[in-house]
Amino acid sequence: MNELLQYVITGLALGVVYALIALGFVVVWKSSGVANLALGQLVLFSSWFAYGMLSQAGLPVWVGIPLVIVFALILGWAIERFTLRPLIAQPILSLIAVTLGLAYFFEGLVGIIWPKSVASLPPLFPQEPVHIGTAVIKQEFLWAAVISLVLFGLLTLFFRYHKMGIAMRAAADDQKAVQACGIPVTKIFSQSWMFACVLAAVGGILVSSIGNISKAPLVETGLQAFSVVILGGLDSFLGAIIAGPIIGLAETLGGGYLTKLTWEGIKEVIPFIIIIIVMFVKPFGLFGEKRIERI
Amino acid sequence: MLKLNNIEVTYLNVIRVLHGVSLTVEDGAIIALLGANGAGKSTTLKAISGLLHVEEGEVTDGSIEWNGARIDDKNAEQIGKLGIIQALEGRHVFEHLTTEENLMVGAHNRKDRNTVKSDMEMVYDYFPRLKELRRNTAGYLSGGEQQMLVIGRAMMATPKLMMLDEPSLGLAPLLVEEIYDIIKRFNTEQKTSVLLVEQNVRIALNIAHYGYVMENGRVVLDGTADFLKNNEDVKEFYMGLSTVGTKKSYREVKHYKRRKRWL
Repeated sequence: MNELLQYVITGLALGVVYALIALGFVVVWKSSGVANLALGQLVLFSSWFAYGMLSQAGLPVWVGIPLVIVFALILGWAIERFTLRPLIAQPILSLIAVTLGLAYFFEGLVGIIWPKSVASLPPLFPQEPVHIGTAVIKQEFLWAAVISLVLFGLLTLFFRYHKMGIAMRAAADDQKAVQACGIPVTKIFSQSWMFACVLAAVGGILVSSIGNISKAPLVETGLQAFSVVILGGLDSFLGAIIAGPIIGLAETLGGGYLTKLTWEGIKEVIPFIIIIIVMFVKPFGLFGEKRIERI
Repeated sequence: MLKLNNIEVTYLNVIRVLHGVSLTVEDGAIIALLGANGAGKSTTLKAISGLLHVEEGEVTDGSIEWNGARIDDKNAEQIGKLGIIQALEGRHVFEHLTTEENLMVGAHNRKDRNTVKSDMEMVYDYFPRLKELRRNTAGYLSGGEQQMLVIGRAMMATPKLMMLDEPSLGLAPLLVEEIYDIIKRFNTEQKTSVLLVEQNVRIALNIAHYGYVMENGRVVLDGTADFLKNNEDVKEFYMGLSTVGTKKSYREVKHYKRRKRWL
């Protein structure tokens, strides 16, 4: 019983982090129509960068983390400015291919700079485990969930009420009309990439603070965020926050129970099985925007 | 004051669509730009608003001046900030945003929050219908409501020059009249110049002070609205009236007999 409770709580917490990373994908997709295939590698790269700042350079947390965030902002700006903007008005497939290139670039870069395969961040949160009912949970899970939820809430408010957020959603509908209103779309694109990188960095740090900083599993975290996006609908914030916990639960419950009964890798496959089933029923994802067509 | 001096526009470096267009928009005036499909009216607007660059078009000759300074090398954002706002042809609303959010996007470049609020009230005052619909998703508004929203969004930028591309497109005659009354009211009350592209010559000349007729990328005729309304060619070819001013009977049409005087 307490095993179940533990799986549920950790699954929900992980799921919320996935949702946060997924939001970075949604923002880019919504404003520019580009599918960012480098999501997992951005998580990977910024986690290792955090390792470099906190463990290798030995900076205190309150200096190191803001530095990582600032670096993520610059990274997002640079990605948009130097790899994507030159391709504006080219077929969207070329832009998506560029993000695929970025994915390999960052993976290679991490391999060159940090050759070891596993490392760990210094503890960011208090270490004593928390007792919830009969379950014993590592405190990091709860912190990760709370931080993700707060950020998620703030971003939702930003997109609903702030004029830049509204303009970003407008760009998703009609880029030309946005320009006709005198708003630079390039600024909107570069902001969306800055969002994506910061969210990937925060998500990466949270996930790595729970376990280790690793190579393939961190990329998989990005893949999980993909599943969240597809399940929730590519362009839906609400979809991300609901699909996140579903994927998280599928991972922990599936990993916890099914691995014993079936075979080792089942944990990674379950989210995708869920996605396939959902796509049969709802091709736009659970909460994907329907195209409004007036005939 | 906006001044176009003999501008030429070329798309993709080869297709020349404007061959020397000159026109002037005085402050506070309503200017109508008339002509059939493909005459170059929309291209002229895009050349002014800077949207041409997005479509691989370029002003290859001549100059566009706004209050004496050249603006033909500026991009859409810079021109928007100067107070020249274009409402695109064909109801480009942001479909998934609400009416109010659409208007907010129009006011994006304004710094002061309070004036944005009061401007929104102003737009609702011109278009009471939009106020009722302000929480509705714009994509589900009717065609007329969407057209109102597009014009309202342009108003939100409090432009000095508002350029409207065929606001009558696909709307019922009564609705067209309503929208034109509002444009006229906006022009007199806010002192905003309006450059109006229209195929519906009669209604455009009703509110315009001055008009230009374009054909094949050239201005072929210009004059005050009254002059154009009484011009035989305009009457015959753009209003469907015979020279006497009565409705044309197609039984008596003899095309070869009458040629446009500017040809």
